[in-house]
Amino acid sequence: MSLTAFKGNPSNTVGVELELQLVNLQNFNLTMEAKDFLRRLSEIKIPGEIKPEITQSMIEINSSIHKSHDSLLKELLTIKNTLTEQAAKTHIGICGGGAHPFQQWNAQRIFPTERFTNTSEQYGYLAKQFTVFGQHIHIGCQNGDDALYLCHAMARYIPQFIALSAASPFHQSVDTVFDCSRLTVISAFPLSGTPPWILAWDEFDDYFCNLSDLGIVKSIKDFYWDIRPKPEYGTIELRICDTPLTVHKAAELAAYAQLLVIWLLDNKINLSRDIYLTYAVNRFRAARFGLEALFIDPIERVQITLAKDIIQTCNQLRNYAVQFNCENILDQICKAVSNKENGAKWLREHHTKFQSLNDTVRCQTELWKAGT
Amino acid sequence: MNFLPHFPLSLNAIALFGLTLILGIVSGEIVSRSKILPKISGYLMVGFLVGPSVFNIVTPSLFAYTRLFVDISLGLILFDLGRHLNFTWLRHDRGIFITSFSESLLTFFFVFVALYLFHFPLLHAAIAATIAVSTSPAVVMMIANDLSSEGPVTRRTLILTSLNNLFALILFTILLPFTQTDTSHHYLLMHTSYRLFGSIVFGILMFILTICIAKFIGKRKENQFVLFVAVVIFAIGFSNAINLSSMLALFTLGVAARNFDRNHVLIEIDFGLIAKLFFILLFVITGIHLQLKGLWQATGVVCTFIIVRTLAKSCGVHLFAKMSNLTKSQTWLICLALTPMSGLAIGMSHLVIDFNSNLGYQLMTLVATSVAMLNVIGPIATQLAFIKADEAILKINFKRGRNEFNGLQRKSLEYSGRRA
Repeated sequence: MSLTAFKGNPSNTVGVELELQLVNLQNFNLTMEAKDFLRRLSEIKIPGEIKPEITQSMIEINSSIHKSHDSLLKELLTIKNTLTEQAAKTHIGICGGGAHPFQQWNAQRIFPTERFTNTSEQYGYLAKQFTVFGQHIHIGCQNGDDALYLCHAMARYIPQFIALSAASPFHQSVDTVFDCSRLTVISAFPLSGTPPWILAWDEFDDYFCNLSDLGIVKSIKDFYWDIRPKPEYGTIELRICDTPLTVHKAAELAAYAQLLVIWLLDNKINLSRDIYLTYAVNRFRAARFGLEALFIDPIERVQITLAKDIIQTCNQLRNYAVQFNCENILDQICKAVSNKENGAKWLREHHTKFQSLNDTVRCQTELWKAGT
Repeated sequence: MNFLPHFPLSLNAIALFGLTLILGIVSGEIVSRSKILPKISGYLMVGFLVGPSVFNIVTPSLFAYTRLFVDISLGLILFDLGRHLNFTWLRHDRGIFITSFSESLLTFFFVFVALYLFHFPLLHAAIAATIAVSTSPAVVMMIANDLSSEGPVTRRTLILTSLNNLFALILFTILLPFTQTDTSHHYLLMHTSYRLFGSIVFGILMFILTICIAKFIGKRKENQFVLFVAVVIFAIGFSNAINLSSMLALFTLGVAARNFDRNHVLIEIDFGLIAKLFFILLFVITGIHLQLKGLWQATGVVCTFIIVRTLAKSCGVHLFAKMSNLTKSQTWLICLALTPMSGLAIGMSHLVIDFNSNLGYQLMTLVATSVAMLNVIGPIATQLAFIKADEAILKINFKRGRNEFNGLQRKSLEYSGRRA
């Protein structure tokens, strides 16, 4: 079976998918309400799309396609407000964050669709452990070759996105000492990691056909790579981020990725396979130490903290930001990075203040609702 | 050989207590394997079989010493029930309160009229109708817990149970002093007000005490667990000592803990295993008290009571279900889940006897028999409702998954073979 043709996008539009937690407002544990909540949402008009996810305490919201940060944020706020209002009526909470701090994976239930049931049958307990929450950012590309170029060119910046979005310091009731514990869960899947070193779309199609004939994959969705091309949308899909604690942060990350893609396409950097020499180490360090991680640049042969690296990248993107009228986004990113602020830090601070993970989730739901 | 035991052996209190739990847990397990009956049916069945109605091995008087455990069980249940009454939810979904009010009102009204037509005195009919309003929180909570049931039907069943118990408790507290026939109206009014408002105030005072202690001991789960149990036990004993309704006081304590803890001092405590222990004991003892004799003596009135109660609850829920945006199936399942009536009803009818021992026989027969019948039907109905709502734990067929996975592996081996 071959891949669907790459549906080219003339401009580098942006769209996001956010996986959200549904929580019980009595004990702030995850609650199995997705089916009923999705039914309620299906009866009202909401922009974008709302979908089920692998377990019944998760939902996924998809934005429409946007040219700018402002329109994306506006739509995300509308979706968030509608969701919050509907959730209040049925007395459940919604929040961001990459992992629920104290849910027990074995208590989760698979959402009854054919795809999720198959995933559960294939992967056993890993499917339930997959109750983690990510933000996926789609950026439009003109053709499949560009998509593959971007998948590899963006590998250099993957640790930045991990550190900026990190919001899963607690997992299964424990402070993991990681800023992002979600990635460890994803790494357990055999089809996780990075795309193969293929730069031409025809070759990539052959690669997919091979795996498909071998019975390993049925669609591009079966690859749980950190970044992957999405031919039916004509995008690359950056899948590395934790769901941030607010929609503002989600829109900010999307805008940053969009600027980076535009810069990479304009500058067409020379790709070197050497980028993958340090990929796994950098990915691990970003998840473990967040913005304070020491990033190893295998091309330039230098080590630099991720915070500094992000600030340098922001400076590099500044002209493009002026062009797209989103300079303030880069300012916000630089400010947060200078203060070493990300979701993980916020969650740890609240846990220290309340001495309770239940209260930490309560604060998460309040933050999501307030949305600032 | 004086050191050898003398026969026949008489079981002491501790041995009997242990035996009750052993028999309860074994029969619960046996019954649950039927996949139709819930474990509760097993606990009740053991109590019923060893009780005076069948083999007469254990009489209720032998179990007098367990009264303390029963009271603690009921106390914990009422406290937990109060914690399910969330004002924020009621404010956001006004349909819940209206639905509960309509199902409680219709149940009271129709049961009252039906019993009046059966020539029950007005007060008797009113007390029986009040008792009919409440759904058994113990059954609903235990089944939700046993099945790990979670979802919209389970949560709504719990909050509706909480509300109809609140209405029943208030009505019952108001009606109870009227059972004393030789007293003046002024005295009755004073007595009713004392019991009603005194219990609520006492519950709130207990809440304030709990908050103060919780601030001191901090948010450690084990500390707060002991604190909750201790406060519940103290509240039971003290409210009885000052002639207040311990049931209403504990319910108020639960409601206050859920809604007035503005600084989030209290943590969410799950009574878990300890509650299970008390619940098994409670249901076995309920089983011992079950009487079916009324079914032969007053078949008509018992069946009418049950049918009218069930229909009234269903009508009440259906009337306003749309306000809460419930589907038809969810509405039916909530009606089904609200069927059980047990422990509290027995507790209430005992209180009536305590207040006026001449009043009770006809009333007790009706309540005890209806409770017995609804104890057979109710838990099955609630379990069925939670399973049909797809909120009880799902058992995934991993065998099928393995076969499919093996299929894929075979396919990949065949492919390698072809290449070779």
